[in-house]
Amino acid sequence: MTTASAATPSPAAAADDLGGGSGGAAIAPPTRKKRRRSTGWLAVLPLLLFIVVAFGLPALAIGIGAFTTSDDAPDPAQWTGDNLRLSVHGAYLTALLGSVKLSALTALLGVALGLPLAQAVITSRFRALREAVLAASGVLANFGGVPLAFAFVATLGNSGEITQLLHLSDHGWSLYTFSGLTLVYLYFLVPLMVLTITPALEGLRTQWREAAQNNGATARQYWLHVALPVLAPSLLGGFVLLFGSAFAAYATAAAMVGSSVPLITLQIADALSGNVLVGQGNVALALSLDMILIAGVVMAVYVPLQRRSARWLR
Amino acid sequence: MTVRPARVAAFAALTAASLALSACGAAPSTDASTSSAATATSAADFGGMDALVKAAKKEGTLHVIALPPDWANYGAVIAGFKKKYGIKITNENPDGSSQDEVNAITSRKGQDRAPDVVDLGSTFALSAASQGLLAPYKVADYDKIPAAQKDSKARWYNDYGGYISIGCDAKKVTTCPTTFADLLKSEYKGKVALNGNPTKSGSAFGGVYAAALASGGSLDDIQPGLDFFAKLKKSGNYNPVESTPATVEKGETPISIDWDYLNAGYADEFKTKGVDWQVSVPSDGLFALYYSQAINKTAPHPAAARLWEEYLYSAEGQNLWLKGYARPVLMDALKTAGTLDTAAAAKLPTVSGTATFPTQAQQDKAKTVVTEGWAKAVAG
Amino acid sequence: MAALTTKPATRPRPRPRYWRGVVALVAGLYFLGPLLASVIFTVDVPGQGFTLGAYTGILGADGFLASLRLTMELAVATIAVVFLLLVPAMIATRLAAPRLSSLVEIVCSLPLVVPSVALTAGFVSVLRWGPTKLSRTPFYETILQIQNPSFPVVLVLVYVLMALPLAYRTLDAGLRAVDLSTLVEAARNCGASPARAVLQVVLPNLRGALLNTAFLTLALVLGEYTAGAILGFTPFAVWIVGIGGSQAQVSVAVSVLSLVLTWVLLLILAAAGRGRSFRKSRTSQETS
Repeated sequence: MTTASAATPSPAAAADDLGGGSGGAAIAPPTRKKRRRSTGWLAVLPLLLFIVVAFGLPALAIGIGAFTTSDDAPDPAQWTGDNLRLSVHGAYLTALLGSVKLSALTALLGVALGLPLAQAVITSRFRALREAVLAASGVLANFGGVPLAFAFVATLGNSGEITQLLHLSDHGWSLYTFSGLTLVYLYFLVPLMVLTITPALEGLRTQWREAAQNNGATARQYWLHVALPVLAPSLLGGFVLLFGSAFAAYATAAAMVGSSVPLITLQIADALSGNVLVGQGNVALALSLDMILIAGVVMAVYVPLQRRSARWLR
Repeated sequence: MTVRPARVAAFAALTAASLALSACGAAPSTDASTSSAATATSAADFGGMDALVKAAKKEGTLHVIALPPDWANYGAVIAGFKKKYGIKITNENPDGSSQDEVNAITSRKGQDRAPDVVDLGSTFALSAASQGLLAPYKVADYDKIPAAQKDSKARWYNDYGGYISIGCDAKKVTTCPTTFADLLKSEYKGKVALNGNPTKSGSAFGGVYAAALASGGSLDDIQPGLDFFAKLKKSGNYNPVESTPATVEKGETPISIDWDYLNAGYADEFKTKGVDWQVSVPSDGLFALYYSQAINKTAPHPAAARLWEEYLYSAEGQNLWLKGYARPVLMDALKTAGTLDTAAAAKLPTVSGTATFPTQAQQDKAKTVVTEGWAKAVAG
Repeated sequence: MAALTTKPATRPRPRPRYWRGVVALVAGLYFLGPLLASVIFTVDVPGQGFTLGAYTGILGADGFLASLRLTMELAVATIAVVFLLLVPAMIATRLAAPRLSSLVEIVCSLPLVVPSVALTAGFVSVLRWGPTKLSRTPFYETILQIQNPSFPVVLVLVYVLMALPLAYRTLDAGLRAVDLSTLVEAARNCGASPARAVLQVVLPNLRGALLNTAFLTLALVLGEYTAGAILGFTPFAVWIVGIGGSQAQVSVAVSVLSLVLTWVLLLILAAAGRGRSFRKSRTSQETS
């Protein structure tokens, strides 16, 4: 409403306000644009400084430490590839593979289950239900660790309520296995998926559905040929986010299964607490580096996907 | 127009700079612990017990770590110390492991929140001493501690100990197991738990050692213990949840392998919660270990730390261990002196047979084997 | 175009209701079941029947108020730092330097690459430099001060890093919904300085996104356990676990309560946002 009336006193000012790179740049006095750009840099500077100090220093410590011998080793500190070599052998390799397997499986299930749940919530007639579920998703996505582990132990553990009710242990059910842990991880992964996919689902324009129906498509065909391809970047992005979240999870598994399911985060935490052989204290940092590399590869897939999905939603 | 943002920025920069400067400063060039209390090696260095008490009261507070109140009656020990000397005690991270305590010493060097004293499983005491973290100190009755139970340089000294035992909820389990061989029976599916992770926790480590002794191993060879737990896991009897009073109450871990003093203490605690907790020391796997006390070399409150050690090794302190069903290291000395609490001593769980303690070399070797092999044993 | 088709419009309707019900049922069972079992555990003491002792004992529990206060202070500090860092940066990249937007996005996605355990490992290493390598430099005191147990700045640093990706996404969605350049241009044309335009025009329009970010960051800080535990402090989540060993029912009761409370807070926020936008659309209809 106001833009029409503000059809501006000076075209130059308008061009400047729209940022650098627009056609009005030639007309605008160069000092104004330079100040705008330097203001831009100035505003971003605190963020960059913060990242360099608070993130760069620990990353540096991990990078250096992974290649240095530990403080408590008999020899003085020197560069070595031993830590990294140890971190991909034996029990550590099993743990790395176990973590990747668990994260991939739970992320896949999280995506497959989160999508229908999000769709069901969005298309509901009760606006209040939608907001209640979205708020609950925000909370549950951060609910993990020991309280979650205990809640599941109380429900499905060897003497849990449901286990006793349905005599599940007679059928060979145990919560403290890979599949049990998968079930527990979904508790915070599915809400995370719901949070992530809801904006994308809302971006599915109703006109597309109507157009499909008018051309004779069934619901199944609509989903298969119209909706899912449009959602694909968001779904993949969601998968990556869920993978990262499951990969990083520590407290839940620690409280529930201890060492009986091999996971890399448990190994790192153990190594940080010094429960390694004397002289191998820096293996924790080498393991961290391994985790960062794996997560980095997965993330490198995420950023371009995120950008592609945003394009569809505009 | 542009003046105001510039002024705001300048103000912000000034604030940030002053905040930053207030948090800057090199370490004091002289070592902070040159005070006499920090290098005192006995009460005599203070000028007698009274001078030690005075110096400790002046410091006014003591930092301890990883001392659960229901562990060998630590709750009463802490309360007794506070009552006797009026010194405040801050007990952080009660569920921490011995390794967490050692880490606290190294990572908090120079900070006021570093722990003053530590209570470590003997394996961890050995490694802490070798890292130079502990201060030598001889309590009043130091000579009465058996030579095998203390460091040659007085950096650590055993205090209380017990045997590995099997605790069992008679209300949830029809026949309670009494030996390690019993634990493998199929009726205990999903019921047998340890008190922690053997790579971290002294009691779980002791459990594996005891299982080794029961399965044909020896103090030199802990591998049969790992094999026992692998078998337990394979048969489905092993429950990976670490047993705590909560899990026992819930019924998740009705059988728990733990120190006898802990299990005996829980028996009293659980009576009100509808759990009939029974304790038995297995005859086939008799393993005993002591926990060691030590003083942090860079303790923020050195006099209070030394007074604490004096208290723990006094007759009052040692008898408090007895009330917690743990065996104090000075038990024989107290008996000859007639200061032993015989009523509490009579309540100790019965043990058939005598145990030998593993040597330093044996413990190191066992720890290596467990650290390398535990995950593999229970993950299969 | 709809008039060209002869298909009756009413046919697809009954099906969605059916599958939605199934999904709702399964989801409800799965998410509410464990919570219900936890609540049953807190109120049912074997041998005493139904008691509310776990809930009445919360306020008196040793360390509850101290850890809760610490976590709240840390949360407020985290939210403040996140806003101070992100809001100017994101507004500036949209208005003045669009080429920086991908840099900001990458920078805010970096913490996603480093799992919290690994990040904490890095922090532990840096903190260990204090007493060893940096003891002769001014940074020695800095490293000591940020670990001050009454207010550990180091935890704020870790929390801000963890909250950055989430905050970026939320603020990004909020900024996308607001026509930023038009708003600023209009404000400038009414005579406002750039700073005033941002503070008095843009920020009020972002109120929903800002509040949302604040609450989600609060939920994150309340639930964060790993860094607090490994670095040796006692925020709320660490306290809950610590007391779980001795007073299990109080511990579980506190977890359930904090979950419900945070959820209610987010709901109130959503309702407030709904009311405001409703009012806004009504007034805009009147003026146009």
